Amino acid sequence: MRINRRRFLSAGSAALIGLSLKSGERISGSFVNESFAAGHLLRDRQPFPAPKKTVKVPVVIIGGGISGLSAAWRFHKRGFQDYLILEMNDKAGGNARWGENEVTAYPWAAHYVPVPGSGSTYVRELFMDLGILKDGIWNDRYLVFAPQERLFLYGRWQDGIEPAVGLKQKDREQFQKLEDLFERFRASGEFTIPLELGLSQKFVQLDQISFSDWLSSQGFDSRPLRWYMNYACRDDYGALTTETSAWAGIHYFASREAEEKGPLTWPEGNGWITRRLLELVGDKVLTGQMVHKVVPTRHGVTVVAGETQYESEFAIFSAPTFVAPYIVDGFPALRTFAYSPWLTANLTLERLPGEIEPSWDTVFMDSPTLGYVDATHQSLRTHIDRTVWTFYWALADGTPAQNRNLLLQTDWNYWRQAILHDLERVHKDIRQCVSRIDIMRMGHAMVRPTVGAILSEERVRLKQRTNRLVFANSDLSGISIFEEAQFHGVQSAQAVLARLSGSPF
Amino acid sequence: MGILLFITILLIAACGLIYELIAGTIASYLIGDSVFQFSTVIGTYLFAMGVGSALSRYLNRGLIQRFIWIELMLGVIGGFSSAILMFAFAFTQGFQLVLYAMVVVMGVLVGLEIPLLMRIVKDRYSFRDVVAHVLTFDYLGALGASLLFPIILVPRLGLVRSALFFGLVNAGVALWSTYLFALQLVRKMQLRVACLLVVGALGFGIANAKKITATAEDNIYADEIIFARDTHYQHIVLTRFKDDLRLFLNSHLQFSSRDEYRYHESLIHPGLASIPAPRSVLVLGGGDGLAVREILKYPQVEKITLVDLDPEMTRLFSTQPMLTELNKRSLLSPRLKVVNADAFPWVDSNTDSFDFIVVDFPDPTNYALGKLYTTAFYRAVARHLSSQGYLVVQSTSPMFARDSFWCIAETLREANLQTFPYHVYVPSFGEWGFVLAGTHEYALPRFLPVGLRFLDTKVVQTLFQFPPDMAQVPMPANQLNNQVLVRTYENDWKDISH
Repeated sequence: MRINRRRFLSAGSAALIGLSLKSGERISGSFVNESFAAGHLLRDRQPFPAPKKTVKVPVVIIGGGISGLSAAWRFHKRGFQDYLILEMNDKAGGNARWGENEVTAYPWAAHYVPVPGSGSTYVRELFMDLGILKDGIWNDRYLVFAPQERLFLYGRWQDGIEPAVGLKQKDREQFQKLEDLFERFRASGEFTIPLELGLSQKFVQLDQISFSDWLSSQGFDSRPLRWYMNYACRDDYGALTTETSAWAGIHYFASREAEEKGPLTWPEGNGWITRRLLELVGDKVLTGQMVHKVVPTRHGVTVVAGETQYESEFAIFSAPTFVAPYIVDGFPALRTFAYSPWLTANLTLERLPGEIEPSWDTVFMDSPTLGYVDATHQSLRTHIDRTVWTFYWALADGTPAQNRNLLLQTDWNYWRQAILHDLERVHKDIRQCVSRIDIMRMGHAMVRPTVGAILSEERVRLKQRTNRLVFANSDLSGISIFEEAQFHGVQSAQAVLARLSGSPF
Repeated sequence: MGILLFITILLIAACGLIYELIAGTIASYLIGDSVFQFSTVIGTYLFAMGVGSALSRYLNRGLIQRFIWIELMLGVIGGFSSAILMFAFAFTQGFQLVLYAMVVVMGVLVGLEIPLLMRIVKDRYSFRDVVAHVLTFDYLGALGASLLFPIILVPRLGLVRSALFFGLVNAGVALWSTYLFALQLVRKMQLRVACLLVVGALGFGIANAKKITATAEDNIYADEIIFARDTHYQHIVLTRFKDDLRLFLNSHLQFSSRDEYRYHESLIHPGLASIPAPRSVLVLGGGDGLAVREILKYPQVEKITLVDLDPEMTRLFSTQPMLTELNKRSLLSPRLKVVNADAFPWVDSNTDSFDFIVVDFPDPTNYALGKLYTTAFYRAVARHLSSQGYLVVQSTSPMFARDSFWCIAETLREANLQTFPYHVYVPSFGEWGFVLAGTHEYALPRFLPVGLRFLDTKVVQTLFQFPPDMAQVPMPANQLNNQVLVRTYENDWKDISH
């Protein structure tokens, strides 16, 4: 009672004073972390200057994202020092990059890792190394704080992202039926993380149809259910259910135990893991080194970056696989590697909008965007007035090519308005709260598990680690998640170490 | 004259709807349950309009004169309706009585308007046209008002000024009518003076709308406000009635000077007096310096560190004479170091060790405060305990928020501490609870500082006994990733306030 009355009166007087001062928005910002200019040099097969110096190093890791850093982590743990990491951007991290301003650190891409199951042995090993898992207990500073996720729908908020309000009996039955189906798939042991542990031809027919068609064939027509499935595919794959292999759609739900306590997250998202890995292996990372030529032979691999030619015995290809046809000698064009374009924005807020207490992850139903994550959510402070929101937008409607064009042809102001428009539907005063919007455009943000991609021959072939050029990226699994990138990174490092020590592999 | 007349109808229709919306809105804001409030307010209002229409048949002479008086009455009652309702809520027990009385009076007056006007103009138009025109503009006015109210009036003007503004419209219509119907009126001047008086009163109200809102707010607190300040972190209000000084933070009572000694003696002495030779003490929260006052009664204590978020709070309690008298100038003690910092990060980064730690935060009313009641926080605090040390946690009421109290105790246990819960009766709070915790068994103190008003060694013993209605209930521990305490606390207090 008392609180209501006070809130009402203070809100009333705030309205009397506050609105008269309302002024035009002053929001600064720009595009940041642009890398396509360099990438397009490769695409257009522009000539590069001849190398001026030659460096001999036993192993070169191409790409300093999670897979490359994980390969390095394994080298580091085995005491192997004779390697280098070549990173194209001026900061390592790839899809686990982060930024920082005077308010907080914040993610530029992936922002959490689900609590790893028992099959994810490398992730668990890493997390023990980093003090996230100790004596079987997850560090509660890193488990996401409450309140965690909320969804805005039908003009109100609900806890959790799976629609729970406004469901009809039919919707409830379908959600239940689908959960039962997922449980059966889970029990089959085929849908695992990492993928490679359980993957077989058993459900190959699921990789031959889209998730959308599979859902329809099973009689799922509930609108909230289909929205939720679409949201999940946009969130994890940057694609609609119509563009996603049913196998991958099911994997999203059937690969993890329903967990209560996770996921693990940090203010800078998975950038926190990058930071920790860089503490261990950062001295091996050369940034601003765009590899433009890779020549594998029977005796070694020549890698050219900038004006330096690296002569190595083995190279680990941790860059996105779609780059390979442009830089690797004799590499055939790829047929089953599609990529989703994304846009990430970091919004600096001078104050929080509205009355509701902030959550970690906020999603609006029926928005084309994925919502936003609050970077100060994991702060231990009780008083937070400024924050950064990381706003995610997988450009899933339309073809990736169209959306890449859109990304290239539009200016910062276009996206600023689009983002504010989206937020404004729920946070009416958002324009008065935001002081800065930095936007990162990514034409090939993540691999897309299109129909037929997961079990494609091409992937099977690339996953063999028998050449001197070893491929190691989450692309190989067909789904872009931390665990897959780390798995392939570690596996490739182990394969290289085994062969360097002369074991017959 | 035709169009002017119909604009008049449009305006009075708008006024009528606005008053109804204001009554419904204020009732929803102040009492909650908006469906019920709007439903009953609208129903009563419409019924009263029916009564007004029925009564209109008894008005036979001087219709125009009567119409003008009705407009003036509506102008005054409707215009001040927001202010009256807020004051009724702030100052009286009978808000609902005032609410429905006003709704009935306004409804009757509004119900009289249209029938009277129709009769006034009946000779100029055919019956068919009168009905059509009057009702058309009546509904148009209602539409305009219903759109204006949420979009412009409430956000821009606020409720007090919106009502006053429409009161002015009514008074304006009255004044205007003395010209419109000048030919049929006698004693025009008298009416015009009355109109101007009403306009003046409403104008005065608009000029002082902010003060009206503030006065209503003052009386959320029962007593005279002697200090109120919005700091960066909170709304601090100090009230006084005779010798009783009360502190409210974000409208939650923190202490009453009449019985705070019960709270603060109980917070400090059962724990601190049981420690053989305490030298250093940490106080988290407690910027009022009252806990420090009790700690200063131990001459062995050499160093006290007080960590409070709000520098305004500690400054106020070190400088304001009435307050320094209450805390015995404790915040000015040379043994004390004041740190203005957010507690959790401070506890995390500081490495000092303390013999006694006092955790005295506001109740866990939201997720931000809830972090200060988690296993993670207590583990971090416990790292600062010396080998003989204890910490004590203000743990809300084991009577009114029994689940919350035992949830806090369980959280301390989960943080690997032994717990020794106790409780005390503080008249202004009711039964209040504390949890003493440490890494070893607790023994009751054999001596207490001299000059305590509430505690002696015999009373201390009794604090640790819980009668059945406050006895332990099984509760989960409060973790950063579940914050069960915030929801528990909300439910606990919801249960008693309904």
